[in-house]
Amino acid sequence: MAAKKKLLLFLALALALVGGFFLYISLAFPGSRCEAAKHPEAPEKYSDCLECHLKVTPMAAQDWRESKHGVLLVKCAVCHGLPDGKGTVPFAAKPGVREICARCHEPAMKQMVEKYGARLECESCHPHHQNPMHRKAFEAKKPSKTSF
Amino acid sequence: MAVSRREFLRGSAAAVALSALGVPALGADAGGPEKWVKGVCRYCGTGCGVLVGVKGGKAVAVKGDPNNHNEGKLCQKGALLVPAVIYAKDRITDPMIRKGGKKSQLEKVSWDEALDFATKRFKAVIAESGPQAVAYYGSGQALTEESYLANKIWKAGLRSNNVDGNPRLCMASAVAGYLTSFGKDEPMGTYNDIDSASCFFIIGSNTSEAHPILFDRIARRKESAPDVKIIVVDPRRTNTARIADMHVPFKPGTDLALLNGMAHVIFRDELDNPSFMGRYTIVKKGAGEEATLEEYKRFVSEYTPEKVREITGVPAEDVVKMARMFAESPATISLWCMGINQRSKGVWANNLIHNLHLITGQIGRPGATPLSLTGQPNACGGVRDTGSLAHLLPAGRMVENEKHRNEMEDFWKVPRGTIQPKMGFHTVALFENMAAGKVQAVFIHCTNPAQTLPHLNKYTPALEKAFVAQTECFMDAETLKYADVVFPAAFWCETEGVYGCTERRYALTEQAIPPLGNSRPVIQVLLDFARGVGVDPALIPYKNAADIWEEWRTLSKQGPYNFYGITRERLKKESGIKWPCPDETHPGTNLRYVRGDDPLVPKDHPNRIFFYGSPTGKATIWLRPHQPPFEPADADYPFVLTTGRVIDQWHTATMTGKVPELHRAYPAAFVEINPEDAKKLNIKNGDQVILETRRDKMAFPARITDTCMPGLVFCPFFDKNKLVNRLFHDAVDAASKEPEYKICATKVYKQA
Repeated sequence: MAAKKKLLLFLALALALVGGFFLYISLAFPGSRCEAAKHPEAPEKYSDCLECHLKVTPMAAQDWRESKHGVLLVKCAVCHGLPDGKGTVPFAAKPGVREICARCHEPAMKQMVEKYGARLECESCHPHHQNPMHRKAFEAKKPSKTSF
Repeated sequence: MAVSRREFLRGSAAAVALSALGVPALGADAGGPEKWVKGVCRYCGTGCGVLVGVKGGKAVAVKGDPNNHNEGKLCQKGALLVPAVIYAKDRITDPMIRKGGKKSQLEKVSWDEALDFATKRFKAVIAESGPQAVAYYGSGQALTEESYLANKIWKAGLRSNNVDGNPRLCMASAVAGYLTSFGKDEPMGTYNDIDSASCFFIIGSNTSEAHPILFDRIARRKESAPDVKIIVVDPRRTNTARIADMHVPFKPGTDLALLNGMAHVIFRDELDNPSFMGRYTIVKKGAGEEATLEEYKRFVSEYTPEKVREITGVPAEDVVKMARMFAESPATISLWCMGINQRSKGVWANNLIHNLHLITGQIGRPGATPLSLTGQPNACGGVRDTGSLAHLLPAGRMVENEKHRNEMEDFWKVPRGTIQPKMGFHTVALFENMAAGKVQAVFIHCTNPAQTLPHLNKYTPALEKAFVAQTECFMDAETLKYADVVFPAAFWCETEGVYGCTERRYALTEQAIPPLGNSRPVIQVLLDFARGVGVDPALIPYKNAADIWEEWRTLSKQGPYNFYGITRERLKKESGIKWPCPDETHPGTNLRYVRGDDPLVPKDHPNRIFFYGSPTGKATIWLRPHQPPFEPADADYPFVLTTGRVIDQWHTATMTGKVPELHRAYPAAFVEINPEDAKKLNIKNGDQVILETRRDKMAFPARITDTCMPGLVFCPFFDKNKLVNRLFHDAVDAASKEPEYKICATKVYKQA
């Protein structure tokens, strides 16, 4: 009986801890929680994906900023499209290699196919975001921790 | 909300699954285009090669041309050019006229009626006030064949030299710079030099946003050889400065002192190249009086690093460091653009950059060259080379030179004396004379002056007064408000023609799809218009653009612009060829003026370099003292206002504005303010801020960023709802007549 009571107490405590954690996060970062929940509806707020994604997906945002695409200002929507799907590029977290990447990288892709044969995707060797300007293109690396 | 989080995740998962299978999940080119048609990007002066994917008679996709200089790469503007821009809802597909004067509505009419309406008016004006009362205002985006044809129609057909265009607003100073320093226009280097340079001196150019593919090439060079040094000299810390070893902000308008200061350090530290100077240069001052090298050395010796610091605000040690990097590098390339050209002393600034190359011998070797970047895709090939400006004739000839006029009259088979001996009105003078009623009818092609002219409040009345015939593709062009006749132009790959980019490369855009609706190629419009106005049909015996190219190619054979070897057939096969190219077997020229590389330098010429464009065969080092800008900041107007591009929008956004991915990145104009200034003025991000100049005042949302140095504010000019050019003055360079868009004085305060 005591064991059951203990278990219940433990479960209640765990629940309170988890609940408290989420409560704390949503109270401490009201803006970012709100933005994380959905993409803004007003088109004029789309202007800078980075502004929100620095808060909601900081790793991905920072990877982009430090990547070649970031240095060259190839912005999110160019490959990922617009959240409301009203752009010319289909909205996708993982843009299609053939229809998106190939628009600029087809000659390199052909070279790779000649060297290594056809592969199903590029990203495992060439992480789109983690491809910093001053390192070798094939060098997959963990994102750095520096801030900007 | 259009896509919920759940839908988004589900969609993403599906996309991942499909892309893992290598199946094109979505997209305009699902199933793949039936064919790819070669062309040149419609946007900037980089001139990237593109392939337009066509399916069922429609353009469905675009990708980079692997055989052109961009090696298959495109920036976001180029990569999103198809299909959103071509099939934009507001494409103009029918001719329109205003029957009841400027205040009436544009009405759709037939081609015959529109042409008749325009030609009757032009004929009446010529009959009443003479040919000087009509003008052509062209564009660095028009095809080479179009500019050549319009130039011939006006100067030889109508006998009016009033042929000018928007290149006057962007690279006229670069033209005059090359002409005065080397004898002939157009750079001696090419993009290949980027791959060999060990020092990049980038001044007055935001290459990253204005020429993204060149910036990519510079970044790749830096990546492959980390010892390569990049110096970015710009009062704004733009994205270009992100890859720089040295970013040098300076007080706007003090670049002449900075460049002379670098020359001083080069002589002081014995980094000059006496052998090069002795063999290949002469020295001049003022309007062209001869001077000696000793005089020049004495002149620059006044620009000590300390004095330069006082004028420019650049620390003395940075002036020394820059000069040493420039001179000591094995090969230095200078890149500049509107920051140097759009200045009241733009030609001098160009001369001073050339000086640095001439005193160090950083020229005529791979990677060592002064390379002026161009803003539009065909300002070089189309307008500069064909001489479609008020003071020029084709291939570097001048209107006011009788021998040059006679050469053109003989070639065009018109009686000697046909071409007027006096140059026509340059752009600012043209619109001044329109406002004054001296120029009463204008044919505007492929440009949007109601948004891009400086001091707009002064010049829009000109467009209200004159009869305006205009070719245009998009209904949202500001100038349409003033048009009396609108000819719907076939857009880009709906017709064929040649573009010539920054690096002397001529490349053909082939016709991929038929013109939309009732739109027509402008060649045809110009021919019909000319015949209607009464130009002798024998002067314009062309059926199509290829006929005009053939004539232009033949004409080029006579002089230093020789590209006779660039035939239409070659252009169809190859992805651009760089002139000089005198015969069909010649591969094109990388190092112009260099023996062994440039076919126009005799093989047995005693010197390695021969500046054959100049009468002495030598380049000129110029004594050009520092001069302040026309309207520096003062106690009443304490800030400097500057303007420029952002990466996602191009010119007046009539094209990029149609692409949601681009337009939403920069939906409206804004003003960049340094945090220090913002704090003093109590301005927060997003606050409405008034910019008040001596011409006008306007409100913009504030972007607080350290891009601008303190004391400087920046507004882009793409937004038609905020015509920032109303704020700028119209002072022009005395030689090039290019306006000083880059600097004016302004008040900055928060909107009450």
